[in-house]
Amino acid sequence: MRSPFAYTPRPGPLQEASPGAAVVYLGSLVVVTFLYSNPAVLLAAGIAAVLAGLIAGAREAVRAALWMGLTLAVLIVAVNALVVDRGQTVLLRLGEWPLLGRVDVTAEALAAGAVIGLRAAVAMVAFGVYSACVDPDRVLRSLRPIAGRSALTATLISRLVPVAAADAARLRDAGHLRGPAAAPLGRAALARRLLAGSLDRAVDVAATLELRGYGLNAPRAERARSRSRYDRRFYAVGVTLLVAAIAGLPLGVDDVGFYPTVEISIGGSTLALCVLLVVAGLAPLRRRPIRAASQAAPGVSRA
Amino acid sequence: MPELAVSSRSVPALAIDRLTYSYPRAARPALAGISMQLGAGEFALLAGRSACGKSTLLRAACGLVPHFHGGEISGGVSVAGLDAVACGPGELAGVVGYVAQDPETQVVSTTVAAEIELPLEMRGEPPASRARAVEEVALALAIPQLLDRTVDTLSGGEVQRVALAAALVTRPRLVLLDEPTSQLDPVAGDELIWLLRRLNEEWGVTILLAEHRLERCLAAADRVIAMDSGSIGFDGTPGDFLAWAGESDPALETPGARLFSLAGIDPLPTGVREARAALAREQSVEERAGGLAGARVASQGAPPPRKLQLSERVGGALRRQGPRATAPPAASIRDLWVELGSGDELRDVLRGVELKVRPGERIALMGRNGAGKSTLLRTAARLVQPVRGKAEVANGIALLTQNPTDFLVRERVEDELPGELGLAALQTVGLEHALDADPRDLSGGERQRLALAIVLAGREKEHQSLPGLIALDEPTRGMDRARKDELVRLIERLAADGAGVMVATHDVEFAATFAERVVLLGDGVVIADGDASEILSGGWYFATEVARILDVPGVVTPEQGAVFLGDGRAPRPQGEREAGD
Repeated sequence: MRSPFAYTPRPGPLQEASPGAAVVYLGSLVVVTFLYSNPAVLLAAGIAAVLAGLIAGAREAVRAALWMGLTLAVLIVAVNALVVDRGQTVLLRLGEWPLLGRVDVTAEALAAGAVIGLRAAVAMVAFGVYSACVDPDRVLRSLRPIAGRSALTATLISRLVPVAAADAARLRDAGHLRGPAAAPLGRAALARRLLAGSLDRAVDVAATLELRGYGLNAPRAERARSRSRYDRRFYAVGVTLLVAAIAGLPLGVDDVGFYPTVEISIGGSTLALCVLLVVAGLAPLRRRPIRAASQAAPGVSRA
Repeated sequence: MPELAVSSRSVPALAIDRLTYSYPRAARPALAGISMQLGAGEFALLAGRSACGKSTLLRAACGLVPHFHGGEISGGVSVAGLDAVACGPGELAGVVGYVAQDPETQVVSTTVAAEIELPLEMRGEPPASRARAVEEVALALAIPQLLDRTVDTLSGGEVQRVALAAALVTRPRLVLLDEPTSQLDPVAGDELIWLLRRLNEEWGVTILLAEHRLERCLAAADRVIAMDSGSIGFDGTPGDFLAWAGESDPALETPGARLFSLAGIDPLPTGVREARAALAREQSVEERAGGLAGARVASQGAPPPRKLQLSERVGGALRRQGPRATAPPAASIRDLWVELGSGDELRDVLRGVELKVRPGERIALMGRNGAGKSTLLRTAARLVQPVRGKAEVANGIALLTQNPTDFLVRERVEDELPGELGLAALQTVGLEHALDADPRDLSGGERQRLALAIVLAGREKEHQSLPGLIALDEPTRGMDRARKDELVRLIERLAADGAGVMVATHDVEFAATFAERVVLLGDGVVIADGDASEILSGGWYFATEVARILDVPGVVTPEQGAVFLGDGRAPRPQGEREAGD
């Protein structure tokens, strides 16, 4: 079964963009989430990441990333509520706990945890969209001239991870199929066998790489593809977001405090940044062909 | 530059001179004193039993031995004039392409186009020539529609083609293939062999192909090199090879050759076409059958009178099924629907499968790659949950999946199967002598029997008998005929003890030797279910070589064919032998 985060080639601006443009675009959303604690901004960044993924056709990746991200967010909220005893609004007094001492659940700790969780969820969605939409071969090849050995290692790992996952699934199946009198599989035996198998697989994959000429010191190949016509759009959107986010900090867009009481300011500049973020989520929309636009011109009936 | 072209073709594609090689820490050499030459444009078949050194020879020819594997080497290997012992595999890759047995580890990129382009990129080829080479090789291998797909969405046959494309894209003079059809269904396997023949004829590519299923590729080859324990036992034409194999190593005989040998007809045929021509010369099949074929044509679908007689005489399966038909089924599969995948890629892998298995029945489950064979077995073993329908197995199921080594996780056989019940399971498969052995030191066939013992262990005690269904998924991958014969004997023994045995296999000849019933799956649906001799003689791809030669309903094995041809020197067929014994 394919991972929902596996790259799937589709015709679309994000998939056609060069890796650099895609990284700048999706990376700018992640940077914003780490610069800001304002929940409105984080929510807008989340909407942008989800929109980008849905428009790019990575629905499965978005769904899986949201599920994982929100699960993680709930966990973070719970842990933060238990370990942080700051905040004035006590919602629940849980008494003395071993190691944690006196535990009071405050609304402020819950809110602070929710913001951290939201940040993690948005970052996961952005990474999920990146994983499903950006061709890893192009990324590795663009890295190869800069860091050849690292690119080789990354290639080996990127190939071995799915192979090892398939091996693990097969070994688990084999474990289920063992007769009742056979020695049980056991985690240690499974891990040992998996490690040994992975090493064998690594040797096979490395042999294939060797045969493909990885060891050759050939002159660097020219770029196979010209830049996508969408590159400029993604670079522009990414850079605009970064500039707006950095400029927004001294303007008070992120004037947020959680302790001792929650204080969140949502002014005009905050709303402007939020709107900019949500609009940025539309960047992977395909440009409508000129002919189609003229067909839809007023006065032309399509009855 | 015609002179250049001529001079490059005058250099042998592969020249090996007194090559001896030992893997690191190996007790004996894998290759011992090999000398051979392969001329430009030859199509050579590398034959031999399992572990005779075929793969090592191929790896020496592409530079992986000794550069990648280490070990000790003496003698010389030259590929298109390049010294393979001095050059590394990367340098040799311009003149030699290599396709290994396991498709999973042969691809290193995410998309097909990137995978095929990689060797050219590594050589610094400009984009225009890369694009053209990728397009041309994709067209030659009929895979242009795959170029934009990711490799993890391809079937086994498609991955093999992609690996072949990546090996061919640099236009090498020599292509080495290590059992490329072992994981392919008969259709994809035949397609691959004839694709290689076409590349050989049209592009002048020299081919060295290691294979166990010789009947599949002998007719396409110009030359056969048979290896035996690390050295060359035979080197000559396919016709001479068959004569040699008949005397020196009958396990390497093709079914067609064995048919002719048993029927006393010379010369032995290298393929179906040659066999049919020879039979036509001798005397037409129709005449020998006493008008059987004529009756078949005349009756237009109605079973000819001789067909039943023939089934009784050579098949025996109908008669054997008689008493079992009343016994309660060992396994009962009713209206089974299975859905696999996720999200937008959900698809029905099994669609309303109905099947009953009687105790002691031996069934071959066949069909193309992706037809649903493995899913059916996995659902019966409860590894997969159906969306509708039921798979009920009386006394449980023991399923041995495709890779027996997945079951071997400890360093001693006794550690895998401790106690009396473990010993009993080992006795069932005839491995009670190997208690102290390391499973990795066992032969391929022994490892498979050990894995079978692991899935059987203790089930006999639970139900006071063997499991109702013993299922094996593609158990003959990479096996030579001697090991397949061992497996047939084991299957017969298990069935004789009352277990229904179901084997998913692509190997038509193997199915003909062990199965009494064949279930043919197509796209998740049972498209044929009946007597093995009838199913395996009633088609083209899912038919044995003997069936394709004689085209007579019910005649699938060389022994049956020899009886049919009526020479009188043929042994009694399997069915009669069983009935009598």
